[in-house]
Amino acid sequence: MKKSILLLFVMMITFSINAQIRGVVIDKDSIPIVDVEILIPDYDIQFYTNYLGEFSVDIGITNGSHLYLYKDGYESKISQYKDDTELVIILDDLHVDIDEISVTASYNILGNSKVTNIQNISIKDVFLNSNSMLESVTELSGVDIISSGSGIQKVVVRGLSGMRVVTYLNGMQINNQQWANDHGIGFTDLGLDKVELIKGSSALRYGSESIGGLLYFKDHPFVKLEGSKGFIASKFNSNSYLSSNQFGLKWNRNNLFFNIHGEYSISSDYRLPNNQYLFNSRFKQNAIKFSIAHKKNNLQNIFRYQLHNESPGIPGHVHGDPSTVELTKILSSYIDFNTDFKITRPNQFVTNQLFIYESNYFTDNSKISLYLGHFRNNLQEYEKWTQPAFNLTLSNTLINPNIKYLYNNSTIELGSQFSILNNVNNINQRLVPDASSINIGPYAIFNYEKDNLGVNLGIRYDYKKLKSIDNTVNNNKIFDIDYSKSFSNPSFSSGLYYKFKDHITRISYSGAYRSPHFSELFSNGVHHGTNRYEIGDDDLLIENANQIDLKYQWSNEHLGFVINPFIQHITNFISINPTDSFSGVYRIYNYIQYELVEIKGVEMNIHYHPHLLHNLHIEQSYSFLNTKNKDDSYGLALTPANSIKTKLLLDLNEYDKLSKYKINNLSVYHIHKFHQNSFAQYEEFTDSYDVINLQLGGKLNSKLEYNFLIHNLFNEEYTPHISRLRGVAGGVPNPGRSISINLKYNF
Amino acid sequence: MKKTKLGIFAIAIALFSACSDSHDDECHECHIAFDGPNGEIEVPINNSAGGEEFCGAELEEAEGADFSYTLTEDYIAGADTVPAGTYTEIHCEEHAH
Repeated sequence: MKKSILLLFVMMITFSINAQIRGVVIDKDSIPIVDVEILIPDYDIQFYTNYLGEFSVDIGITNGSHLYLYKDGYESKISQYKDDTELVIILDDLHVDIDEISVTASYNILGNSKVTNIQNISIKDVFLNSNSMLESVTELSGVDIISSGSGIQKVVVRGLSGMRVVTYLNGMQINNQQWANDHGIGFTDLGLDKVELIKGSSALRYGSESIGGLLYFKDHPFVKLEGSKGFIASKFNSNSYLSSNQFGLKWNRNNLFFNIHGEYSISSDYRLPNNQYLFNSRFKQNAIKFSIAHKKNNLQNIFRYQLHNESPGIPGHVHGDPSTVELTKILSSYIDFNTDFKITRPNQFVTNQLFIYESNYFTDNSKISLYLGHFRNNLQEYEKWTQPAFNLTLSNTLINPNIKYLYNNSTIELGSQFSILNNVNNINQRLVPDASSINIGPYAIFNYEKDNLGVNLGIRYDYKKLKSIDNTVNNNKIFDIDYSKSFSNPSFSSGLYYKFKDHITRISYSGAYRSPHFSELFSNGVHHGTNRYEIGDDDLLIENANQIDLKYQWSNEHLGFVINPFIQHITNFISINPTDSFSGVYRIYNYIQYELVEIKGVEMNIHYHPHLLHNLHIEQSYSFLNTKNKDDSYGLALTPANSIKTKLLLDLNEYDKLSKYKINNLSVYHIHKFHQNSFAQYEEFTDSYDVINLQLGGKLNSKLEYNFLIHNLFNEEYTPHISRLRGVAGGVPNPGRSISINLKYNF
Repeated sequence: MKKTKLGIFAIAIALFSACSDSHDDECHECHIAFDGPNGEIEVPINNSAGGEEFCGAELEEAEGADFSYTLTEDYIAGADTVPAGTYTEIHCEEHAH
C-alpha cells in the first residue's frame, strides 16, 4: 500500500513537472486541421498539429495558460490549458481576413486589443512577399514612410515620426539616433514574426514618449519540435540590382530552444522612372541574431543577441541650397557595375548590437518577469574619405521588472522601467554633444473584460534627468554646455469596449509627454545627411499630448467595415525651421517650439469577400489626416497626404487547371495619394499620384516557395510629400518600375 | 540533415566574411569647389607628383581644414572662369556620372 501511494505520488509529481499539452484541432465538420500553429504567448513557444490535427507536447506550463491557435483561412482562437485535459478545439472558417475587421481572437504584447487600439500584422514572410519590411507595414491605414530608396526608411504614424514614434524590438527600445530623417530604423525583417502598432499615446507599459505611436517588433517564437527546421531565402530586385540573402535555423531538445538567423544584402543606386539612377542611394547591410531559451519547471530564461551592420549612402547631397540644385547633378545616366555597388561619400557606417536577458516565473495566476536589455549604436557619418563628420556611440540600458496578475476577469500589471542612456562622441568634431540621461518610470495597468464589455485603465509616472557637459573646441567653434535638468510628468491611458451582436465600439483617451531630446537642445553644426546647419535651443519645454480615439467595426461573412476617427492635441510641439541665414553654404535651421498643434483625422477599412467568388478578397483602407499649427497659418512639416489603398487578392488554390503552373495567389495593390496642400513654410505643394503593384506567388514543391513582384507597374513618376528628398532639386522621384524574384526554401 | 546544417553555417560564414566595412579606401581625385555665378565649378587638382589621384596620407591632408591649393593660372569652365589664386575649399568625393 505504501509503495502504491509512493508510486502514485511520484507519478503525480512527474506529471505536474512534465505535464503534457495535448489535444486535437478540427473544423466545424469535425475534419482535422493540419499544421495549425499553436503558440503559448507567455512562454513564446510554438508547436504544430500533425496530419491528424493532433498535438502532444511535453512543456509543462501553468494551469490556465493561454494557447493561441492560428491557421490561414480560419478564425484564430485563444484557448486555455487545463491540467490533465485533452483539448478539442474547433476553428471556424474565416472569410473576412483582416485582424481588425474580423472578430477574431488575437494575442498582443502591447495589451488587450479589445480595449486598446492595437493593430498587428504578421511579417514572418515579408522577405518573400514584399520589397521591404517597412513598406509592408505601410499597408496599415495611417502609416507612411519617409525614405530615400530602400537604404534609409523611417515610419510615420498619423503624421508623426522620429522620436515621437518609438520602436521596440523584443522588449528593448531601439535608439538609432532617430532624431534625424537620414537615420533609419536600425534593423531588418530578419527573424521577425510580427509587428504590433499602437497609434498615439496609449503605449503606457513601454514608455511615455511615444506620443505618435509605438511599434513593437517581435522575433519568431521558439518551436517545440525535438529536432530542427530552417530555411534559406534569396531575393533579387531589378531596379537597384538588390541582392538579399537570409538563412534561419530553429532547434529544440527537451526544454532547450535555439534560434539563429543571418542576412546579407547589397544594393546599387535605384533607377528613376526616367531611367536615370539616383547617385549614392546604394547600401550594404548584414546581420546575425540568435536566441536561446531554457525552461525548467515554472522558470524560463531567455537570452538574445543581435548584430546589425549597415552602410547606406546619403543621396541628394549637395553643397549649398538643395532646393536650387539641378536634378541632373545628382543623377547618374548609367550604372557602372564595377563602382556603383561600392561605398562612396557621403555615407554612414552604422553598427547596432542588442543584448537581452529575460527571466520569467509563472504561477497559475501570475507571471513575474525581469527584463534586462542593452542596445549599443555606433553611427559614423562621412562626407570626406578620411575623416568622419561625426562619430557617435549611443548606448541604452533598460531594466524592467514586471508582475502580471490575473484575477477572475481582470488583469493587473505593475512594473517599472529603469533606463540609462549615454551619448558619446568619439572624435572632436560633432553635431550633438556628449549627453546622458536616467529615466525611471513606474506604471500600473488594469484591464477588465467580461462578456461584451471591457475596460482599460493605466497610469505611469516618469522622472528623467538629462545631463550634458561638453566644452569641446573644434574648428574655432566651442561647445560650451553645462546642462542638467529634470523632467517629470504622469501619463495615462483609458479605454472602453462594448460589443453588441456584430457591432464593436471602442473609445480610448490617453495622455503622454515627451521631454526634449539632446539633439533638439544642443545641436550646433553641419548635418551633412540633411544638407543643413542645425542649432538647438536649451530652453525647450516638455511636449504634452492628449488623444481621443474612437473605433467602430462591424462584419459578417462577406463584408467588414471599420471606422476610426481620432483627435490629438500636442502642446509645446518641438519643430525645426529654416532661417534666412547661412553658415558657409548651409542654410541655418533652428529648433523652436509651437504652443499648440492639433492632429485629427479618420481612418476607415472595408473588406469585401463576394459570395459568388469565394476566393476573391477586396480590401480598401482610407487615411485622412489634418494637421494644424495654431501658431501660424502654415501646416505642420512632413504631413503625409491623404490616401486610399486598395488590395485585390485572388486565391488560386481551388483552380485545378492552374495548379500545374504552381501559381497559388495573385494580388494587385493600388495606392492613390491625394495632393498635399497643407505644408510647413519651407515645404511645397505636392501633386497627387497613383502607384500599382502586382504580385504572383506560389509553391514549386512542398519546400520551395516563390514570389514574383512588379512594383510601380506603370512606372509612375512621383515624389511623396514626406520623401526625404522632397526638398532637393524640386523633389527627387521615388523608384520607377521594379521586378523582384523572391525564393524561399524550407527544410 | 546534418549536411544541410553544415551547409547553412558554411554559407553564413561565407556571407559575413564577404562583407567587410572597410574604412581604408583607395585613391580618389580631388577638386577645388568654386562657387561660381551659375553654381559650383569643379577645378581638378593634382597631387604632389603631378598625378590626378590622392592616396593615403596625401588624401587625408587634402581633406584637412588647413589644406590649400594654388592655381597658377585661370581655369576656364565653359562660360565661367575660375581666377588664379589660392583655394581652401577642396572636395574629393565622387559625383554622379
